[in-house]
Amino acid sequence: MALDVLQAAPTAAETKKGLGVRQLFNRHFNLLIGTMSVGGTLLLWQYARALGIPGLAFVDPPTAIIAASADLLQSATFWTACYKRFIRISIGFVLAQLIGIPLGLLMAANRFAFNTVFPITEILRPVPPVAWIPIAIIFWPTREMSTIFIVFLGAFWIVLLNTIGGASTIDPAYRRAALSLGSSRWHLFRYIIFPATLPSIVTGMVVGMGICWEMVVAAEMIAGDTGLGYLLWQSFEINATAQVIVCMIAIGIAGFASSALISRLARLLTPWIAER
Amino acid sequence: MKGAVSIRGAVKVYDPERSQVVALDGLDLDIAPGEFCAVVGPSGCGKTTLLNAIAGFDTLTSGSITLDGQTIAEPDRSAPPGADRIVVFQNGALFPWRSVLWNVTCGPVMQKRMGRAEATERASALLARVGMQGSDDKYPGELSGGQRRRVEIVRALMNDPSVLLLDEPFRALDALTKSVMQEYLTELLVEVPKTVFFITHDLEEAIFLGDKVVALTSRPGRIRQVVPVSLEKPRRHTVLTSPEFLAIKATLSGAIHEEARRAFVYGERELA
Amino acid sequence: MSAAPATSVNARQTVSAGHSRLVALVQGLLGLAAFFLLWWLLVDVYGVWRFRQLPKLTASVREWLSPNPTYGISLYTQEYYKHLFSSIKRVAIAFCLAVSLGILVGVLSGWSRWFRAVVFPLLEVARPIPILAWIPLVLLLAPGRETAVITLTFLAAFFITTLNTMLGIKSIDEVYFRAARSLGFSEWAILRHVVVPGALPYIFVGLQIAMAACWFSLVASEIVSGTAGLGYKIWEAYYYVQFETMTIMMVTLGICGYLSSSLVRRVGNWLMRWRGSMLKGMAR
Repeated sequence: MALDVLQAAPTAAETKKGLGVRQLFNRHFNLLIGTMSVGGTLLLWQYARALGIPGLAFVDPPTAIIAASADLLQSATFWTACYKRFIRISIGFVLAQLIGIPLGLLMAANRFAFNTVFPITEILRPVPPVAWIPIAIIFWPTREMSTIFIVFLGAFWIVLLNTIGGASTIDPAYRRAALSLGSSRWHLFRYIIFPATLPSIVTGMVVGMGICWEMVVAAEMIAGDTGLGYLLWQSFEINATAQVIVCMIAIGIAGFASSALISRLARLLTPWIAER
Repeated sequence: MKGAVSIRGAVKVYDPERSQVVALDGLDLDIAPGEFCAVVGPSGCGKTTLLNAIAGFDTLTSGSITLDGQTIAEPDRSAPPGADRIVVFQNGALFPWRSVLWNVTCGPVMQKRMGRAEATERASALLARVGMQGSDDKYPGELSGGQRRRVEIVRALMNDPSVLLLDEPFRALDALTKSVMQEYLTELLVEVPKTVFFITHDLEEAIFLGDKVVALTSRPGRIRQVVPVSLEKPRRHTVLTSPEFLAIKATLSGAIHEEARRAFVYGERELA
Repeated sequence: MSAAPATSVNARQTVSAGHSRLVALVQGLLGLAAFFLLWWLLVDVYGVWRFRQLPKLTASVREWLSPNPTYGISLYTQEYYKHLFSSIKRVAIAFCLAVSLGILVGVLSGWSRWFRAVVFPLLEVARPIPILAWIPLVLLLAPGRETAVITLTFLAAFFITTLNTMLGIKSIDEVYFRAARSLGFSEWAILRHVVVPGALPYIFVGLQIAMAACWFSLVASEIVSGTAGLGYKIWEAYYYVQFETMTIMMVTLGICGYLSSSLVRRVGNWLMRWRGSMLKGMAR
């Protein structure tokens, strides 16, 4: 029988519980193999130079990286960079929500608004926010603002689309039920339309946050003068490969953390959605 | 005629180390070849568990099941699912991304029991028999619920199973469609006789379709009553108000209702 | 909008479908016209605040359409197409590679516990790192600039495709697997007739996102390290204060992005025509 985890029909071996080695192995299968796999890759990397593996040999081995990260974590530049980036993302992200959600709701509710605004968004959206960087630099007085603008753009499209999508698929039965119960317009919005759209909005937020991270790095690397992305680029230019890796990892971890945060927030806002 | 099913001392305990849910508590049941055995009981009484054990999707904790003398289920081991014990599922399992014809012929063709041309011919004949002629190239998504059920039954029959397992197949249909489907099924089985294991909530459906009706208790599942049904086949909806039908119903409905109330009180939730 | 639900439903019913589509079209054009008008007014005519420094609409359009452009880029020049095709070629290669590898890895991960346990942790570690953060690393490791750019573009699409494929496989109702086994399908047949078609909807959603990601990474990596291509040209035009050229390139980029996503969507709709009758297809 294939070791196919998708077929939930339990085979005898899998349903047996117990403390034998076989059972422990099965239960923590993923964890064990995963650790071995990541560990194996790290080991390979460590001895890449000695083993003569091309490419990887150019990059400093993991031990050097750990050393470098110890240095970096203690430097003030690193933490200021983190902080600045955090501010940028927050502002850009929040702005995208503040403008995107109302606009999306308006477009979903009003046919005229939708028909006039949608074609414009369809034209502007395919242009990657990265391509907007020069315009942003020209237009906004400070580099800071242009970075925030790019972050905003990235998230804005997602938020808009998700809000429109969510609001337009509300089951008309809910509206009718509310109206027959005698709700006012505001009441209808606040207790019916808005909560029903929330799951979509929230999905938009989670995805949007991911995009924000991509944008921030882009903007910082290309047009910024502080921030982790900028630091990353700097390290590259001075050929400090270990630092490059550390920055990458730091960005990755921070991105992961912020996504997790947003997901948590998402669950708080929509407690009625069951976890899949 | 094949399809003699014999169940002895079937016991199924879920999660034996912790919650110890006893789904089946020692069932003995025999189904003769060609017999239509209808199993009725409230939710959670173990009927689906029993069907899964026969089909090979699940195992028994103790006891055994034999099919035509061959053991197909033993404690903690089951023969893998196969065409000899084919299942018609509750919510339908026609592959939506393939045409009706492909769905119906894929079994025999995959198992190399029939060539494609032969399978197509037989499939078309059976589909016409259930009023689905001309729908060979349609996708399941284009069919109504009742139509999909018919196609799925044809798909099952095309595989010439030893025993046909039906898991509340008409549950999702409205009452009117359901009664029509029941008639179709009996007519089809007169033409293509099979051993059938059919589970349902609906007592009338069980009596209408079955050669014998097995009433199970609420959890843990045991056999409470077995009643033979000797109304002549093929049965028409008119039989539903005949005195013989109502007499059989009278012997069973008290027991069934009592089990249903017991299950309700214990808060058995519908396992949809 | 208070009594609106009832009345607007009635209103819609009285207007025929064709009419409302025409109305939508007109309103759309109105919106677009308003947008361009705004651009023209704010930048070309009045030069309000910092809008003054943005590229002018008239100048850009004129440049784009002129046979003899001031800065060497227009619909008539060779160089325009050189950059265009250079970018398209890279996206095409990267996308195709990402799709094939991504679907392969995704399917294998869904299929085999072992494979998944080995590969998934590696993917999860690599994924949170934004694509652009990979640029320095890839530049170090890759033998050439072209390869580097393609690799980066590939990476973005690859992660997305793999993830969506895995999600797609997970989303397949278990009952189809049971039915297939009952019908005597071999493991290979299950893969071919259940897993792949079943996951296809999710995969295609992923592909559209991946396509957008491709363009995004492409532009970014071209800006940073390219020698030709739309992204590179945008940056160069900015650097040399050739704003009209920059606008032309941005618009071209937008058109490419739109057309390629549209293409992916159409292919998806064709492959999954069985869905048409079941549910309203996703518009994106």
